[in-house]
Amino acid sequence: MSGPQWVPTIDDSKVRDGAYVPVYPKGVGVLLVRTDGELSAIANKCAHMACPLEGGLLHGGIITCPCHDWRFDVRSGALLDAPELSIDTFATKVEDGKILVELKGA
Amino acid sequence: MTDEVFIYALSTCPWCRRTKQWFTDSGIAFDSVDVDSLPVAEQDEAAEKAYKLSGGRRFPVVVINGEVIVGHNPDKFLEHLKGWGG
Amino acid sequence: MGSAERKESLRYLFARVVDPLGYKLTPDEELADFLLEQEVKLEQDHGAPFCPCQGRTRKRAEDMLIVCPCIPFHREHFDAMKRCWCGLFVHKDVSDPDSLPQFPPDEG
Ligand code: SF4
Ligand code: FES
Repeated sequence: MSGPQWVPTIDDSKVRDGAYVPVYPKGVGVLLVRTDGELSAIANKCAHMACPLEGGLLHGGIITCPCHDWRFDVRSGALLDAPELSIDTFATKVEDGKILVELKGA
Repeated sequence: MTDEVFIYALSTCPWCRRTKQWFTDSGIAFDSVDVDSLPVAEQDEAAEKAYKLSGGRRFPVVVINGEVIVGHNPDKFLEHLKGWGG
Repeated sequence: MGSAERKESLRYLFARVVDPLGYKLTPDEELADFLLEQEVKLEQDHGAPFCPCQGRTRKRAEDMLIVCPCIPFHREHFDAMKRCWCGLFVHKDVSDPDSLPQFPPDEG
């Protein structure tokens, strides 16, 4: 079993401010989100019934699940209406213009 | 003294069933409607009535002599039933 | 997916959702079974496992607040009752769900 590892994804320039891009490092569904210039990475899977968050509205750092409108803070992953519930978040870093996502060890 | 009882219910709601059962077991006559079992065209109107009376979306909505009780709450039912000194 | 399988998957999905909120499935298994069955039907007919004990209005913003588990949107009220409106979920320390009264939010 391996520890946490940094997995390269797409070019940093591909994620526009106020938008997100789905990526699949090692097959894990991740949304790369940029909001107010800041990059974050969240699981592309809702904490409610596991719908992909992709397709949901992103506004002011809040993403709304397209299935039943649960709203999550893209930085913390927390559900706005009950922060004890959250989606996974991932650390990111940019090297040579590429975004790397940290996956926890399997 | 007769009490006038009307129960707004949903067919999917177990507490609505218990409420009706409670009135039946207590020998109190009532009228009722399962809002979701009505023909589609009539559902909205019946639901709106229940929402207006109760100020919410919750069922059952029980109207006893004009007083509205929301939820399966026999203590509250008794308070409003004249036959029981309410 | 058949109805029985869907019921089991909702049971599993929802138990995970309500746990961090301090709730568990009601120990009244007959009630849980009945309610989950209604939710499977509501999902088949109306596209989401809506609450069996609350009415829809056909306004999306309102109806999405009563998709199960709706606890995040009615927390104060349910915490006061120690159960959700339907009683499908109860506070973790509840062992006798029948003793919990059902009352509207303004009568806490
Ligand atoms: S009241 Fe209970 S059963 Fe009904 S939607 Fe809310 S959590 Fe689910
Ligand atoms: S699956 Fe995301 S809100 Fe229901």
